Amino acid sequence: MRGLQLSLSKGQKLRLERALEKLESLSSKSNSDASVKVADDIAVNNEDAILKGHGTIELDGRLVATLCGVVERVNKLVYVRSLRARYKPEIGDIIIGRVIEVAPKRWRLEINFSQDAVLMLSSMNLPDGIQRRRTAVDELNMRSIFEENDVICAEVRGFQHDGCLHLQARSQKYGKLKRGQLLTIPPYLVKKRKQHFHHLDQYGIDLILGCNGFVWVGEHVEVRDEMVEDLPNKSEQENEEVEETYTPLDTRENICRAANAVRVMSTLGFMITVEVVTEIVSLSRSLNLDTHEMLGAEFYVLVAEKEAERRSLLKRRK
Amino acid sequence: MLQSKSFVKKTKQGRVVKVVREHYLRDDIYCGAPLCKVCDVAASRLSSTASTILVVDTNVVLHQIDLLENPAIDDVVVLSVVLEEVKNKNLGVYNRLRALCSNSQRRFFVFSNEYHKDTYVKIETGESPNDRNDRAIRVAAQWYQNHLGSAVRVLLITNDRDNKKKAVTDGILAETVESYVKSLGQPALLDLIVQPPSDDVTMEDAEDLRPSKRKTIYPEHKPMSEITSGLHRGIYHQGKLRVNRYNPFEAYVGSESIGDEIIVYGRTNMNRAFDGDIVAVELLPQDRWQEEKSLAIANDEDEEEDDVHLAPSSADDAPRVPSSAGDKNAMPTRPSGRVIGIIKRNWHSYCGSLDPMPMPAGEGGIAHALFVSKDRRIPKIRMQTRQLGNLLDKRIIVAVDSWDRLSRHPSGHYVRTIGEIGDRDTESEVVLIENDIDARPFSSQVLACLPPLPWSVSAEDISNPIRQDLRHLRVFSVDPPGCKDIDDALHCMLLPSGHFEVGVHIADVTNFVHPGTPLDDEAATRGTSVYLVERRIDMLPKPLTEDVCSLRSDVERLTFSVIWEMTPEAEIISTRYTKAIIKSCAALSYVEAQARMDDSRLMDPLTTDLRNMNVLAKIMRQKRIERGALTLASAEVKFQIDTETHDPLDIGMYQIREANQMIEEFMLAANISVAKKILEHFPPTSLLRRHPSPTKEMLEPLIQTAAAVGLCLDVTSSKALADSLDRAVGEDPYFNKLIRILATRCMTQAVYFCSGDLSPPEFCHYGLAAPVYTHFTSPIRRYADVIVHRLLAASLGICRLPDIFQERPRLTSIADNLNYRHKNAQMASRASVELHTLIYFRNRPTDTEARILKIRSNGFIVFVPKYGIEGPVHLMARGQKEGGKWIVDEQQQKIKKIDGQDSYGVLQTVRIHMEVVEPQPNRPKLQLTLI
Amino acid sequence: MEYVNPEGLRLDGRRPMEMRQLRAEIGVISKADGSAVFEMGNTKVIAAVYGPREVQNRSQQLNDQALVRCEYSMANFSTGDRMRKPKGDRRSTEISLVIRQTMEACILTHLMPRSQIDIFVQVLQADGGTRSACINAATLALADAGIPMRDLVTSCSSGFLNGTPLLDLNYLEDSAGGADVTVGILPKLDKVTLLQMDAKLQMDTFENVMQLAIEGCKAVASYIREILLENTKQLESRRGI
Repeated sequence: MRGLQLSLSKGQKLRLERALEKLESLSSKSNSDASVKVADDIAVNNEDAILKGHGTIELDGRLVATLCGVVERVNKLVYVRSLRARYKPEIGDIIIGRVIEVAPKRWRLEINFSQDAVLMLSSMNLPDGIQRRRTAVDELNMRSIFEENDVICAEVRGFQHDGCLHLQARSQKYGKLKRGQLLTIPPYLVKKRKQHFHHLDQYGIDLILGCNGFVWVGEHVEVRDEMVEDLPNKSEQENEEVEETYTPLDTRENICRAANAVRVMSTLGFMITVEVVTEIVSLSRSLNLDTHEMLGAEFYVLVAEKEAERRSLLKRRK
Repeated sequence: MLQSKSFVKKTKQGRVVKVVREHYLRDDIYCGAPLCKVCDVAASRLSSTASTILVVDTNVVLHQIDLLENPAIDDVVVLSVVLEEVKNKNLGVYNRLRALCSNSQRRFFVFSNEYHKDTYVKIETGESPNDRNDRAIRVAAQWYQNHLGSAVRVLLITNDRDNKKKAVTDGILAETVESYVKSLGQPALLDLIVQPPSDDVTMEDAEDLRPSKRKTIYPEHKPMSEITSGLHRGIYHQGKLRVNRYNPFEAYVGSESIGDEIIVYGRTNMNRAFDGDIVAVELLPQDRWQEEKSLAIANDEDEEEDDVHLAPSSADDAPRVPSSAGDKNAMPTRPSGRVIGIIKRNWHSYCGSLDPMPMPAGEGGIAHALFVSKDRRIPKIRMQTRQLGNLLDKRIIVAVDSWDRLSRHPSGHYVRTIGEIGDRDTESEVVLIENDIDARPFSSQVLACLPPLPWSVSAEDISNPIRQDLRHLRVFSVDPPGCKDIDDALHCMLLPSGHFEVGVHIADVTNFVHPGTPLDDEAATRGTSVYLVERRIDMLPKPLTEDVCSLRSDVERLTFSVIWEMTPEAEIISTRYTKAIIKSCAALSYVEAQARMDDSRLMDPLTTDLRNMNVLAKIMRQKRIERGALTLASAEVKFQIDTETHDPLDIGMYQIREANQMIEEFMLAANISVAKKILEHFPPTSLLRRHPSPTKEMLEPLIQTAAAVGLCLDVTSSKALADSLDRAVGEDPYFNKLIRILATRCMTQAVYFCSGDLSPPEFCHYGLAAPVYTHFTSPIRRYADVIVHRLLAASLGICRLPDIFQERPRLTSIADNLNYRHKNAQMASRASVELHTLIYFRNRPTDTEARILKIRSNGFIVFVPKYGIEGPVHLMARGQKEGGKWIVDEQQQKIKKIDGQDSYGVLQTVRIHMEVVEPQPNRPKLQLTLI
Repeated sequence: MEYVNPEGLRLDGRRPMEMRQLRAEIGVISKADGSAVFEMGNTKVIAAVYGPREVQNRSQQLNDQALVRCEYSMANFSTGDRMRKPKGDRRSTEISLVIRQTMEACILTHLMPRSQIDIFVQVLQADGGTRSACINAATLALADAGIPMRDLVTSCSSGFLNGTPLLDLNYLEDSAGGADVTVGILPKLDKVTLLQMDAKLQMDTFENVMQLAIEGCKAVASYIREILLENTKQLESRRGI
């Protein structure tokens, strides 16, 4: 299995196989023949007015897939939803990226897209929170905001006419992410939802599921209101202090647990949602497993079995 | 099913490499028994009534192939593991076994047990490859028994006691060769069985006949590991041992490592090596080189003998007498050595007869005899037989089995009888067998490829656009009298411009011999027609040779023509190649053509053509000589054969006329033109013929002889040599020719080669002084010409190039085969002439004139021009080396009587007496004595 | 040398028209966007695809299509003798180019302007037909990376020895000196994208040999499609709703 390089014992192997088979049987009813591979014909029932979507081309009057994935139909639109592929940005997606270059008036971010994304200095709020024209001084101080290799959370603003992907970070929830782990998983495992920022209260951590497959697990940060921002001088002092403070051990452990949960899930190829992550973290806790043991063979098997159980339950409920 | 084979191999550079190969096991390999219900029986080879199926092991095949070839042995399953082992150990036996398996008359079936899923065996740890193979054979035998059930008895034939025991334990029926053959109840078959060397206690009886008792005669061969390491370190040298055809106690090993030939003197130093074996040689210390030589000669003097033989026509078949003059004082320059191990044996079967011996008491018992090969390079072979009385006066074939170091002679076994000694047919067959010439009639598959007979030019051929209609031309052929396979014809026409159009028309053999057909394959293996004194062995079936392809007079024939436009000065202005149709108006003999040209009264157009051509040919010849072509001479002889008895009536030198030279000139020109054309179109895959320049060393004997008569030869180039040969005119008319004959025998043979294998400077033909040369003009009797025809046709775009030209290695192997066949054909012709010479002189003791070629320590070697033979004349008896009445001056090449009365020098004319004597029964030879 | 014995079996027990055993595995390198291992008998090749991603060297950026790059290498342990192979020798440069051109022909590069796709192929075990195996592995890796393609390219070699056309030569047969025809086709479109031969062949023999290689390509294609479909289904079912 992809990325799974564990030595499973015979029993474990059997159990894993059984769990995976169960998963397969659960899903096979829903979309068994929707899976296509490159150069497969897509049946369109002679509907004249279909719209060719992503992952399709027309060849001798037939619709042919250019990707491996699942055929989706939305009204007249027929497209192939690819599975393993790089991120395809859509406006409004919340993404996480890493700064790779500080350029004049902009940062370049690696976001698992076919190009680097651009975050203009003008499309983010300044630390002082004041809406104004960016001056040359601001430009010189760009590194004080984000440096190379910083991890940033932002939102897709859209494509410019030159084809560049632009981002924006006009809210306090966006910005630099600190004290946590960045995980990269295939983007198809992240489902687009209303909420991508999750605060796991009981563990005191934040989980941000970037649409581009970058997942942030970090210490919880209170998002301060803009109102509060109005009093800059006072809070700055506090801020400094907070930053000096030490992240407590169990928060750090929780971060690792959550990160490992994401790792296990993505290795097994399961969709990652906040519910599943919390479930797995609590599973590991209930089993009294050490953080590192979560990456052991046994836990993989357990997760797979649990997932199979969960999905069958879900199905039954329907 | 997939199996992986992995083994460790050592590369040529001495590095150790691990090789992993895939090995697929299959379920679609069938058993080959027609009564089998499970398998596909379409390809079955075994008989449906067989009650016993034999499974043979490797050693049985290797040693008893002669037995297997006997039709009494049939219904044999040959396992692929056996085939593979045989192939690695002895390619000759492998080919014979393959021939058996593909022979539709015989019921031999190849079972690919190594690829069958049930019979594949994996090597176990600690098991040697040999044991594994033996086990594989047993497993396969068992599989057969289980597969075919109880209706058939599967019998494993093995001489390996251990293997047999294990087989019996496994429940497989197993027998030794001997017991199986005995059970067949045919005693004659028993002679074919090779006795295993270890358990022949009876051999001692034979040994006792010899003066040598059981003692170690030969030094032990070094183990293979030591040889390889020795070769690697440069102590030993590897090469093919070639025994001197005229002195079996002298052999040469061409060694790449020292770039020279190593001489091996004497049987002890040769240490049981046969001619053609690949051996490892150790050099002797330099101070022993000369000593060893004299020792060897002295030791073996009793057996050494010189035969009267045909005068050689090139260096390749000349006796190799090491240049001894001048060496006496100086250190010998050629290294000598001794064989310390044999890397690869070249044993095969040999023709000869039994050494005469008294009949042992008791009929039908086993007798031990010594076999004397016709080929003098082969030592006597010990053998045992139950039919001694039958064999004593027969020519038989014997195969060599082993040679252990306790016995002076190798041991072998009887294969078959050819016929009575001295019988002309028998002896002719011996000649053919000795030279590996296939004289069997053509098979039905081959004959099926012939065009329907009687054949004539069809309308289709005439209308074919690639074929030009040249029937209106006055084409004629000139050949030896009685020639039936006429493959060349000519025409010559005066053009209005004053130029001549000269055409050479060659029989279009490729129109009938298509690539890939059995006919083509057969011709390719035969390589050439063989001309013996009394018969001709054709390369192509008779209807093609004598009728369809032969450009006889007054019939329409297809040709491949080369047509030049020439100025009266014989400058070639243009060359044209085309397929054509001609109608020859006359098939002349050389004598007729010459007579027409010489008869000034004849003014008919044909004679005019002849004369024109002759003028052109003379100019061309002159030009060629100016370029440096050598005019060489050979002592070809011609027999007149009695049409009834086929006995020779008369022999004489072959006379060369102007007409011969004229034809030769045009053929040469055609060959050169074609060679240029094909080389231009197919630079890497043309078949050409080259004649390597002789090395200085090769010309040494010529220079010495010439110097002895006060002649100085310049051998720096072919041109210089040609000029000095021209200047060498002695007081008698034959002197020049004699020198030319001597020069010819210093040259090596011209050889065929594939142009991609050599670089263009090496293409050159020394004797003809042509940069490229090939054979185009005799496709009826030479396969090389057939190939060249195809190349030429392809270069003209007439037909496509056959596949063999895609694979250079295959073309190279064809060229090698052609060279081999060509050489063998020549050897056979010579042997045939020698045989007939002997028959001719049997009842005709003759006195004749001879020329001294070389002075030797006990006499001299003479050449008899009239009969084209040469041989030794002994002035003193054997063994009497020094102190006789004669003093030899090898330096001056003179021999003097001690009282100074008589003296003979080289090239001097003497009168000799020729007589057939029979010093040993069944070995008649021609003796020359001085009168 | 006898490459097909009179019983019609090749040295490794195959018949002339048979291919070696195929095996493919997708997603063997977790860090790569797409990866695959492809085996044809003892020939084993690993391929990794990175991209489409930002063009590393800005000057090479193409504004209307993606830049495809390919690097071929042979592992030191891939052949019997462990030789240190210089990087970027003539042979690997040539094969890199061949693979790049072949893959470029099927990738819909215009959909990914201003980006670059890197294909890395490495021969882990060489036993003849590495060129073909590399192309097949690269196809799988590209499909795994979700890069849109016109069609799957598949490749297979065939040769001509002992007067017989042979499919899928192994090293032993490859080094026999006969012709070696490597064909790459787009099976769906039925088009040839790669045709290489390093010897001379007669025109009609060549056609037979090439036809055989095309048959081989089609067999490889159906195997690859099977693998891909299985992989897609598995991914989809694992992912859940």
